[in-house]
Amino acid sequence: MERRELLKQIAILTGGAFIGGELFLTGCKSGASLEAGFTPTTIAFLDEVAETIIPATKTPGAKAAKVGEFMKVFVTDCYTKNDQEAFTKGIVQLDEACNKMHSKSFMECDAKQRHDLLVSLEKEAKTFNDGIGKENEGKKDEERKSVHYYTMMKQITLLGFFTSKTGMTETLRHVPVPGRYDGAFPYKKGDKAWAE
Amino acid sequence: MPENNVYDAIVIGSGISGGWAAKELTEKGMKTLMLERGRPIEHKSGYVNAMKDVWDFPHRDNATQQMKADYPVLKRDYPLNESTFGMWANEKENPYTEVKRFDWYRGYHLGGRSLMWGRQSYRWSKLDFEGNAKEGIAVDWPIRYEDLAPWYSYVEKFAGIQGSKEGLDILPDGEFLPAMEMNAVEKHVAPKLKEHYKGKRHMFIGRSANITEPKPEQDRVNCQYRDRCWRGCPFGAYFSTQSATLPVARKTGNLTLETNKIVTRILYNKDTKKATGVEVVDAETSKTYTYNAKIIFVCASTFNSTWILMNSATDVWPDGLGSSSGELGHNVMDHHLKSGAEGVIEGFDDKYEYGRRPTGIYIPRFQNVYDDKRDYLRGFGYQGGAYRGRGLEIAEFTLGADLKDALSEPGPWKMGIMGFGEILPYHENRISLDKTKKDKWGLPVLAFDVEMKENEAKMRKDIPAEAQAMLEAMGAKNIRTYDYGYAFGMGIHEMGTARMGRDPKTSVLNGNNQVWDALNVFVTDGACMTSASCVNPSLTYMALTARAVDFAVKEVKKGNL
Repeated sequence: MERRELLKQIAILTGGAFIGGELFLTGCKSGASLEAGFTPTTIAFLDEVAETIIPATKTPGAKAAKVGEFMKVFVTDCYTKNDQEAFTKGIVQLDEACNKMHSKSFMECDAKQRHDLLVSLEKEAKTFNDGIGKENEGKKDEERKSVHYYTMMKQITLLGFFTSKTGMTETLRHVPVPGRYDGAFPYKKGDKAWAE
Repeated sequence: MPENNVYDAIVIGSGISGGWAAKELTEKGMKTLMLERGRPIEHKSGYVNAMKDVWDFPHRDNATQQMKADYPVLKRDYPLNESTFGMWANEKENPYTEVKRFDWYRGYHLGGRSLMWGRQSYRWSKLDFEGNAKEGIAVDWPIRYEDLAPWYSYVEKFAGIQGSKEGLDILPDGEFLPAMEMNAVEKHVAPKLKEHYKGKRHMFIGRSANITEPKPEQDRVNCQYRDRCWRGCPFGAYFSTQSATLPVARKTGNLTLETNKIVTRILYNKDTKKATGVEVVDAETSKTYTYNAKIIFVCASTFNSTWILMNSATDVWPDGLGSSSGELGHNVMDHHLKSGAEGVIEGFDDKYEYGRRPTGIYIPRFQNVYDDKRDYLRGFGYQGGAYRGRGLEIAEFTLGADLKDALSEPGPWKMGIMGFGEILPYHENRISLDKTKKDKWGLPVLAFDVEMKENEAKMRKDIPAEAQAMLEAMGAKNIRTYDYGYAFGMGIHEMGTARMGRDPKTSVLNGNNQVWDALNVFVTDGACMTSASCVNPSLTYMALTARAVDFAVKEVKKGNL
């Protein structure tokens, strides 16, 4: 599947535009380097958030795909300054929400507790995004409010995982040089999709 | 290089047209100098991203904020990404002025946009060459389909165009390599379309310059179905300057290639009324050189070819060589696109595709042909195809293993078609020199004052409506029409500004692509186009170039040039 198609479908799934992948941005400034903000602790934290969204099953999950590290690179280089701030604040906000729900930090929670938290954030994010969607109508890009931080994390998780080597070769099927074309290739339910 | 810098012929530009000019000239024994303004890119070894996987790109082939800041035009559409980064003109060094928005996507390197082109290759029809005269639009083409038909055959055989013969007047057949296959869904819907519209609408595989049989004599391997053409093909499976024309030109021993040489003007002798050569500035050292030749082929890409003419012979004509017609810089055209429709085709869950086919399907123009009449002139064709996406739209699986599983399987088959519409040549749609703004080398830049008009707007409304009706006829469900908006230039099919014609008072070039005011100067790229058709133009540039070289060399041998 083409990269643009992947971004489009992630956007549909997460209810809006793909942040950092906008095609028609005008006048956005290059964000300041945020690398210092992404410590090994932060990356380990983001790995666990990503792993909760795309866990290891019969095949490796987001953590094995180093999605936490990818979030650092993508947010630092591809996000606008506003979105970077929303994302980094979100790291703190997610832990606060976790403390509220489970009375302990996200890293201290087990997989079930983490899953439950993100299910609640899914709903919170949808309400939040619907709200700012109306506020953002007709506004210039630099004046737009950022989407919910969880939406950003989920988007980069899906992008990062399904474009990673493990995601493309172990969870999906990847043929770099197909060598021929078959437009009626047999398919049965359960067969994995092509990676591109 | 010869000590006195004298050649039989000079070719300005190394893209599709320049590559053909160099091949034809050198094969006919002409000592030829090819000048390319940008850096060299070697075939195969120069395609640095060709064998990379998505995960090899730090941002997984997405543009960074820095890339967007450096490429404010390119970022307006899909070309700005990591896998083709470096294959587009540096926008800081090469600015231009937008009186009205104009998206100009330029390739300033050896091979030009022949490395990044869409490879769709269609002949123009009789109707395309006759339209202006019949409808009283602009000026008449000085040639007809029959003049170009043998040259289409000639270039198709060499370039390698895969496609199917359909026997349609509106889209003449060519000399095709075996056609790529339509997929199961496309094969299912094509006859439904034909039946519903009583044989007046057709859908078949998109004809493209991807070879389906090896061409060992050109050291080219057949397409491997990677669909990574834009990064350069290490198999040489699609036509480009590097894969096809340049190796032949080099093999003759008659070619001298100079890269990083920006042609600043054509040198003109007003006594002989001929060009004597060109002046260039070295892009790296800023040193100036002159080269002399008997004939000059201007193939610098549509607007840059005209830019060179505008800067030439200004002592005789203040607005440049060819401006005596009053048409130099005028009649800018492109194809408008990004409107269409898509829908879901059910019943093929047991079918999938293997391999990534580098072309889609084509539905030729049906408007204002046969007995069809519209409230606008000319028409559009559709490109598109059926494909099976991924299961990403299953919203109920919000996260976790269920989400992962859902996203790991293919989704429903979809069929999508997008229109490519003809834009009429309007005199007032023009480019001109903006002498207040300079590029990195102190040269004046181009200003664009171009817009779509009523005919295009009406056609544009028709494209999604007809797409919806046709998808319904194909049996599609959940049909969604769209118009993502088109800005002039986005088609990357820019044409016009030095049109061919029958009268030096109303055209820049004659029927042999000679500048009326300097008969040893030939312009054979998109600049020469008198109208735009709605089919992709590159194959026509190839044919026009080969035809013009044949004429030019005969004239040289007769002593006329």
